[in-house]
Amino acid sequence: MDGNEQNSERRRDPLFVAILLAVCGASIWLLLLPFFSTVARISLKRFHLATESFPLWCVQAPIPSMYNFGNQYEIRDLPEDLITPVLDSRRPRYINHYPSRIVTFANGRYALLQPGQDRWLTYWSSYRGQKLETKVHIKPLGNGRFEYVRQSSEFIDPKDVDFVLSGAN
Amino acid sequence: MATADASMKIGEAKIERSQLGSERVVSAYLIVQIGLFVGLAWKWSYFSMADKVYHLWPLSDPFFPPWLQSAETVRWAYVITLGAIVLGVAGMLATVRSVCAAVQAAALAFLLVHQASYNDMTFATSLWVSIWVCWFTTRMNRDEPYELLNRAAFLSRAIASMILLGGAVGKWTPEYWSGEVFYDIYFLERDYWVFNYLRDHYDPETLRTLATWYSRKVIAIETLFGFTLWLLPPKLAAAFGVAIFFSIAFLSNFLLYSVLACMIGLCAVGFFARRR
Repeated sequence: MDGNEQNSERRRDPLFVAILLAVCGASIWLLLLPFFSTVARISLKRFHLATESFPLWCVQAPIPSMYNFGNQYEIRDLPEDLITPVLDSRRPRYINHYPSRIVTFANGRYALLQPGQDRWLTYWSSYRGQKLETKVHIKPLGNGRFEYVRQSSEFIDPKDVDFVLSGAN
Repeated sequence: MATADASMKIGEAKIERSQLGSERVVSAYLIVQIGLFVGLAWKWSYFSMADKVYHLWPLSDPFFPPWLQSAETVRWAYVITLGAIVLGVAGMLATVRSVCAAVQAAALAFLLVHQASYNDMTFATSLWVSIWVCWFTTRMNRDEPYELLNRAAFLSRAIASMILLGGAVGKWTPEYWSGEVFYDIYFLERDYWVFNYLRDHYDPETLRTLATWYSRKVIAIETLFGFTLWLLPPKLAAAFGVAIFFSIAFLSNFLLYSVLACMIGLCAVGFFARRR
């Protein structure tokens, strides 16, 4: 192998180019977020595990999203239509990202599932005027097993929710 | 005779420079892997507790395939990631290093989409850093050391910029600009030295105002460096990157080092770069 071949071998670095393209792709996607409502909606659905397909959700997983969006959750131990002693009865609380983590991640899962009862959760995530509301029923199946039942996930008028939330204070 | 001596000296200097360069390449690799390992092991006791919770209270959700809900698979993916880092560092052979780096990146990608760990940004930052490690190990014994280190530093700046941009863009929303989110998450109750100190010394109204400016400071720094970090000279970018990622955790939440230790290691690569 002569010097020129060695140089061209060094310069051929497709993995470097591929990673740089992935970084550029993720950055462009992030920069579209504030300007295109479709991109914001796809990203909000990602946070509620409400993406249309699992592969589409997986593709978004590496896109950095630390402390993104205004995410809130509310936990009830009775269905929504009943007046209920809510676990945290003061008001819906903010959470840094992925509000669904309140029941899927370790400490939240322990706090909510350990008593072995039904739970009704509502999550809201909002970004520049778009608000996604998701309702979930956590249903005990016996022997410590639970089922995550998605009741609804829809975009709503933020004003309606702000009214409800201020009423809950 | 004098010419032969001079060319011998130049040759020796070149070899010395090349050896020094190779040592720097290995040091850059080690510092990134140490950052990754520290970050992943940072919440070891928390993850041990989580492992018990996932085994005791399985949560069935048709959104995830069964193998991405299993308490066994998340446990093994985590252990394999740590094992691959240790083996890659201890292995020394180029092939072992590359294979281990590929395994650690694959295991982290798995953790990033598992029901039990998708929300933990530890696995998002660690995955990007492991992808960098994966690439770096394929070039360590092939490229001229200083040329490689300059490219490695550029890639590390690009990744760090993207991570900061990801934090910034999601906060360009009224809930963060007003400080409402940070007030609720940190200022109200969080047991951490910064917030304990502020609660002890300021009334609730001032605390709410401080939350607003704390939030705007975070948005400003993430936005500024998200856009510019990759453009800065390697050493300056490394200094800013290390300081920013270190201070984010230091000023908000000690547990965040699990997310940011790998970013600190990755940014430090810039310190090994040299002008041609």
